[in-house]
Amino acid sequence: MIQLHIVPGDELPIYRQIMRQVTDAVAGGRLRTGEKLPSQRELAEQLVVSPLTVKKAYDELERQGLISTQRGRGTFVSTAERPIDPELQRERLHGAVRRLLSQAHLANIELDVVVALLHEVDEELRAERARRAELGNDSTP
Amino acid sequence: MKIAEFNDVHRAYGRGKDVLAGVDFSLEAGQIVALLGKNGAGKTTLLRIAMGLLETQRGSVRIFGLDPRKDAVEVKRRIGYVAEDQILPGFLRVSEVLELHRSLFPTWDDELARRLAERFDLPARPKVKTLSKGQARQVALLCAVAPRPELLILDEPAGGLDPAARREFLETSIRLLNEAGTTILFSSHYMSDVERMADRVVMIHDGRVLIDNELDALRESYSLALLNGGAHVDQEKLLALDGCFAVRERAGSLHAIFQLDPQESEAVLERELGAVDVRATRIALEEMFIELLGGTVPSGGKRGEVRPS
Repeated sequence: MIQLHIVPGDELPIYRQIMRQVTDAVAGGRLRTGEKLPSQRELAEQLVVSPLTVKKAYDELERQGLISTQRGRGTFVSTAERPIDPELQRERLHGAVRRLLSQAHLANIELDVVVALLHEVDEELRAERARRAELGNDSTP
Repeated sequence: MKIAEFNDVHRAYGRGKDVLAGVDFSLEAGQIVALLGKNGAGKTTLLRIAMGLLETQRGSVRIFGLDPRKDAVEVKRRIGYVAEDQILPGFLRVSEVLELHRSLFPTWDDELARRLAERFDLPARPKVKTLSKGQARQVALLCAVAPRPELLILDEPAGGLDPAARREFLETSIRLLNEAGTTILFSSHYMSDVERMADRVVMIHDGRVLIDNELDALRESYSLALLNGGAHVDQEKLLALDGCFAVRERAGSLHAIFQLDPQESEAVLERELGAVDVRATRIALEEMFIELLGGTVPSGGKRGEVRPS
């Protein structure tokens, strides 16, 4: 079952952190259609947050059609395929990019240096992912 | 349904100035409300008034629609209360303390009490005075919770506990909420605990309610901008801006809280004061507490705007 992780004091309120992680997991294929989510009670206890907060996150995800609750059976990722709206994805990244560029501006770093750095970090991350995938394969007989 | 109503609550000690100078707010069934404020803001006084341990000197208080002074027995029977400095009789054994409470509360739930004692790993035999502070608070919490109260009032429930004991306490509270859906009013100085537990925040300052809002709304509707003071920018000019809620001066810079999105705040600063290159950010509860209660807050009118409609 999916492991969620919250940080109190983060820029996002906790219910938004939950929503984002579920949304990202669905978009990234880590949560598949029909897969079961922890119940609201379980998740509240697991994350040590108010059950009302979890309810709010689940209600909102359900309203967006990403998950659905079947009485007596639990909450599941909806059958409707639902990749994240690319517009929304752009909007989300917008804030992070804004912060990055303001920081660069303050330090008087030119845009092409930032772009080069982006490529460099992308390489790093790809290499790390590849390494992890290899390890994962090794561990399975 | 309203579980508790505070109307124009006033309280002073002796001839001193009013600690509470007109507190208004109410508590709906099932809500978990955090009462925040600096030391001496009157949180404990308010909670004691709710319990009927102190009287309001003006205005009125209703708990379950009852007067906590006149209907003291019934109100106390339906509330679970853990005081900040809860004193349990040290000469009694843990089992005796539990038995005492069990005999006082007809609604005492043996099964729940047993489960909690097990979860807390509370020994039955030792005398209360030999317990650690964390264990003593767990006994107090167990006694408050086992009668399955309709309203739980916790004054600094985690005060003096180490991080592990605090987390244990939170976990227990969450389990209880899951099981019973109790209404909770608690005070705390641990903002991360408040973010985990509360769904509404009531901030008390200068004897009144400064902020009363849902936690998430509060987190999503304010932003903070840091500026250099100077000829063009000072506290007064900032406070006069649309959406500016509070300003604090700190080590030569000005911290302005806006009741706007970060980008809207930046736009207002640029448009009105020509302040370019100012970055506004969302703020967590801890910073909000410090900025609001450590700074200049416009009085009167603006206060009303932050109340939930």
